[in-house]
This record gives sequence, C-alpha cells and structure tokens, in this order.
Amino acid sequence: MFNRETWIEIAHTVTANPLRTALTGLSVGLGIFILVVMQGLGFGLQNGVEQDFGDEARNTVWVRTGTTTLPFRGRQPNRRVQMRNEDEQRITEQVVDAPAWSGRRMMWGSTVGYKSEQGNYPIVGVEPDFDDLELLPLRGGRWLHADDLAKESKVCVVGENLLEELFKRDEAIGAFVTLNGITFRVVGHFSKNGRWGNSMVYVPLTTMQRVFNGSDEVDQMVLSTGDLDLEGSTAMVGAVDADLRLRHSVHPDDQRAVRVRDNQEEFAMFERIFVGIRLFIWIIGGFTLLAGAIGVANIMAIVVKERTVEIGVRKALGATSGSILSLIVIEAISLTLISGALGLIAGVATLNVAAPYAQHDYFTNPEVNLRVTITALVVLVVAGAISGFVPALRAVRIRPIEALRYE
Amino acid sequence: MGPNLDLDVVGMGASRKGNSGPYLRGMLALSGIEKAYPLAGGSLPVLKGIDLNIEQGEMVAIMGSSGSGKSTLLNVLGLLDGFDSGGYDLDGVNMAGLSEKQAARYRSQFLGFVFQSFNLISFKTALENVALPLFYQKVPRRERQRRAMEMLGKMGMDDRADHLPSELSGGQKQRVAIARALITSPRVILADEPTGALDSTTSHEVMEVLREVNATGITVIIVTHEADIAAQCDRTIRLHDGVIIEDGKSGEVVEPTAHGARSQD
Ligand SMILES: Nc1ncnc2c1ncn2[C@@H]1O[C@H](COP(=O)(O)OP(=O)(O)OP(=O)(O)O)[C@@H](O)[C@H]1O
Ligand SMILES: [Mg+2]
Repeated sequence: MFNRETWIEIAHTVTANPLRTALTGLSVGLGIFILVVMQGLGFGLQNGVEQDFGDEARNTVWVRTGTTTLPFRGRQPNRRVQMRNEDEQRITEQVVDAPAWSGRRMMWGSTVGYKSEQGNYPIVGVEPDFDDLELLPLRGGRWLHADDLAKESKVCVVGENLLEELFKRDEAIGAFVTLNGITFRVVGHFSKNGRWGNSMVYVPLTTMQRVFNGSDEVDQMVLSTGDLDLEGSTAMVGAVDADLRLRHSVHPDDQRAVRVRDNQEEFAMFERIFVGIRLFIWIIGGFTLLAGAIGVANIMAIVVKERTVEIGVRKALGATSGSILSLIVIEAISLTLISGALGLIAGVATLNVAAPYAQHDYFTNPEVNLRVTITALVVLVVAGAISGFVPALRAVRIRPIEALRYE
Repeated sequence: MGPNLDLDVVGMGASRKGNSGPYLRGMLALSGIEKAYPLAGGSLPVLKGIDLNIEQGEMVAIMGSSGSGKSTLLNVLGLLDGFDSGGYDLDGVNMAGLSEKQAARYRSQFLGFVFQSFNLISFKTALENVALPLFYQKVPRRERQRRAMEMLGKMGMDDRADHLPSELSGGQKQRVAIARALITSPRVILADEPTGALDSTTSHEVMEVLREVNATGITVIIVTHEADIAAQCDRTIRLHDGVIIEDGKSGEVVEPTAHGARSQD
C-alpha cells in the first residue's frame, strides 16, 4: 500500500492539480501558522510576566511608603512617610509572625570604583534573609551574614555586570572597591535576569545606614509569608498596613502613603489573566483548526466529486476499491501533513524573526509549544484523512458504471 | 501508418488458472438476464430476459435503436453494472454475487474497455494512460512503461507518447484508449460506440484496429448504431426494448421494417 508506485501515482495527481493542492495546502498551512503564532504570542506574554515575577519569591509581601495625599488627624497632605528601624522591629516582633524579612534601602547611581575603573551602580542595603526573598542566585563567594550586619562590616555582594564592566579579568572576590568613596570588600557575586538585577551592589543595611547617611531609615520592607495561603497572606498585609497607618497617622484611604503589596495575590491575579489568555488562545486555535479541517473536507469533497469519472475509469481498468481509497487517503494525508509542516516551519520562523523586535518587560521568549502544535497537526491530518476517506468511500461504493456516468 | 498488431494470445488460456478447460457454453454466457433501473415511483425494465452465448474469438456487433438497452447489456457483460436476475458465466465462472474485489480482478485480467468518450485520464500522458492498467496488476514501473510504449507503437502512436489527451485528435485518443484496453492482454474487448465521436474515415481506421485485435484471437464486442460498422463484424445482435430480436451473421441480419419483426417465445 505504501510502496513507491503509490507515491509516484500520488505525486502525479498532486502535481496535476496545482490549484487545489495550493488551496488544501493553504487552509491547513495557514491554520497551523496562525495557531503557532498565536501560541507564541501567548507564551511570550506569559514568559515576560513570569520572568518579572521570577525576581521575587512569590510568598512575599512588599511594604513601601510614600507621601500622603489625604489630610488626616490634623495633618496636611504631601507629608513624607518614612519607615525606620523601629517600624521594622515592631512589625516583625509584634504585628506579624513572618519567618523571614529584610529592610531595604537603595542609593541609585552611586559611584563604584575599582583600581582605575569606575561606574555608576545602585547600592542596596539589605539584611541576611534578602537573598531568599528576592531569589538571588549566588555564583561565587558568599552572601551577607548576620555577623556582617551586627558588626556593620564594609562588605558587599555584586551583580554579574560589575564583573564584566569593572573587574574585567580580575578575581572579584576579596577585591576592594570604593562605594561613594568608602572602601568595601567584595565577598560574593550573583547572576540574575532583568534590566537592573545584575547591576546591584548589596551591602549590609546597618553598614549603609551608618556609613552613608547616619540614619535609621528604611525605604522598603520585604516580609516572607512562609507557607501561608492567600487568606493568611492577605491577613498579614492587612495587619502591616493597619499598623503603619496607625503609627504614621495615615488616612485609611490614602493609597500612596502606605503601600503593602502581596506578591502571592498579584501572582494569583496574573494567573487568572493567563488562564483567560490561554483559554482565548485555545478557542482561537480551536476555530482555526476547525476552519482548516472544514477547508480540507470541502476541498477533498470537491476533489473526489471531480474525480468520480476517473474513479470509474480506474475501476474499469481493474482498480480495486481499496487501491482507490488508499490512493485518495494517502494523498489527503500527505497533502495536509506537508502543508501543515510548512505552516509550522513558517510560524516558528516568523516568531524567531519577530522575537528580537518584540522584547519587552512583559514579553520575552515567544516560544512554541511543540506538543500542542504537533497535536494540532495530527488533528488536521486525521481530518484530512477522514475528509478524503468519506467521499472516496461513497465514490468507490457505487457501481463503476455509475461513476463513469457521473457528471 | 497502419497498425501492425502482433498480439500474443497463444498460451493465454494456459495462463488462466482453473477455468480454461473446454466448456459447452460460450466464453460469455447469459441466460435470462433481467435488469431494471429504479425510478421514482417504480422501476424501468431495460433488459427483459437476455439469452446470449459469445465464443472466444468472435467479433460481435450489438445494434438496436436508442434506449433499447445496448449499453446496459454491454455494462453487464463488462461487470461494470449488476443485473437483477438470470445467469452470467464468464469463462465458465458464475458472475452472480461476485465480490467487488473479484469483479475488479476479472476486469483487470479478462476485460478491456473502449468508450465512446475515450475516458482517458486528462492529467496523464498517452503513455501513462496506457500503462495504468498494469499498475493495478502490480507490474513494475519500468516494465509498465516498456510495454505501454510497445503497445503505443503497435497503434502507430509511439510518437505521441508524451502528449496529454487534450493534445490528441479524436482518432488518436481512441487509439490510445484501445492500446490501454489491450495492454493487459484481455480476452474480451468491450467497446460502446467506439466510433460514435469520430468521422467516417477515422471510424474506419479504428474499426481496422479492432479487426486486427480480433484477428489475434481476442473476443471483440462492439455496440454501434451504424450498419457499416456492424457489417465489419462477424455477428450482429439486434436489441429491441430489452430483448434480442435478431442474432446472426453480419449482413444476414436485416433491418427491421416494423416492430412486428420482434421475436416472441
Ligand atoms: N442509470 C440509469 N437510470 C435510469 N435509467 C437508465 C439508466 N441508464 C439507462 N437508463 C434507461 O435504460 C434504457 C436503456 O438505456 P441504454 O443506455 O442501455 O440504451 P442504449 O441502447 O445504449 O441507447 P443509446 O443508443 O442511446 O446509447 C433507456 O431507456 C435509458 O433511459
Ligand atoms: Mg448506449
């Protein structure tokens, strides 16, 4: 059945009707192409957002403060609310029971010097738990210890970018750098995705407070919610929020002055959006497939009709019904398979060509789910086979003379 | 250039397994064949009890007025159509209740068809059309092409081997069709008005070819309207309204002057 003779015969009929070959190919190829590109877009969006989230552990609550927008208890708006060490201490000791936490303070555009090299990098003061809260993959040396904070040591952990830009070929660990003119020792380095991630210089929060501004100010606080569920983390958010508003006299409706953000909740929201997007892609994909299948079925029906007299002739010349059926079915399968594969290649190529132009914070790696695409291809090929088989069966079942007389 | 047929039929009987022994009835033997076409609100009887014997090597014309059932009879003989009742033995084998696959085998090995409208496959060249029946006999491609080329040569058509049917004249198409019918060395050629679409000169050339085919021992059965075509056959059968009203040597069969000539038994 699948011998060379049959293939030659199929090649013959396929090339003999270029228009219908092109039409079948188009309906299948276009279907797969659209499916692949849609999928790529969906995955690109998802990858982008997930990568953005990948920077932080999901079970964290971020606490930030800003300026007030509403008057409250006799205090005017536009007042800056500043967290301090005492806030952090109170919140972690009395308000919530977080398994890990860290204060965070940032100095953008600080001057970092090494030997004769110099560059501007953000310096971030954090506490020992921070590497778990922000998921910083250490690539060499060590992370900041509790001891570093207690002793206010002048040590730092630097991002990968500094290795290339500042240290070049020198060993970074153990090297001395100047941070805004003050000498620190590098104890570790890390690698991380994202625009800023790899340019950070992490120092102990206590050291930063002592050396750079002589204050007890904290810009942000990160709290781990441990294995709390969404309900638990929401309760934690509420408690921290209420405490800060109380202590700093902030109006309950003031959105800017106190901002407590639950990563878990945000991620859950994005998950819901993704489910929506995925559903959308599936529906579009489903319709594309359906359209492709209907297209193939239509064309095959016409093809078989057009070839009814030919079927009669072949029978008169000694063809069995089986040989005619297999000819048409194999032809339909090869047509859909080849054009589907071409659509797949074109779709993947389009994504690969377009991807570099479409890089965005919320859009990366528009990859193709090969399993889904292959499934779609198989569905179309099966649809092609069936839509070839059904009318062909009808055509070979009638007596040869009826096929010969067909108009 | 006239056709130069050198068809091998000697030993053909020996190559047919089982059924090649002597039999009393003809190679094609019909008895009491009846056939009706189903119509909306009833059925139209077309063959009303046909008894017919045709021996190996005969050249038979089937005549009769339009609608008398000539094509229907030929299609029954060619296993292209079924019948309702009666018996049909082909080479001593009962054809009633033949499976589709067996029928295909008989069509492939025993029978060759020539149609009024040629029925060449439009996207295949003359050579490929002629070679096609051998595809269904599982003959290798190269062998198929060699034999098809040879057969086209015998029809004086080898210089048109690569032409598509649309690039051939009517007579050339019919020669290709005859070559295609002959390629499997059938025992019977069934031709339904093979000259119906051709002018008289071309018709005579085609008849010449068919006579030479018959001269090699192949049974030829031709449906025709034209008396001079029938005259070139050995035997003429006349149908009227689904029954055979005359059967005899060509030339001896007289034109029916009135319907009263119909035989009743
Ligand atoms: N498929 C069919 N369905 C219904 N009736 C049919 C069918 N084929 C033929 N007939 C009828 O059967 C009768 C005999 O038809 P047939 O084709 O055998 O005639 P014919 O002798 O070959 O005529 P012609 O010389 O015109 O070709 C006609 O009345 C025709 O209308
Ligand atoms: Mg007829």
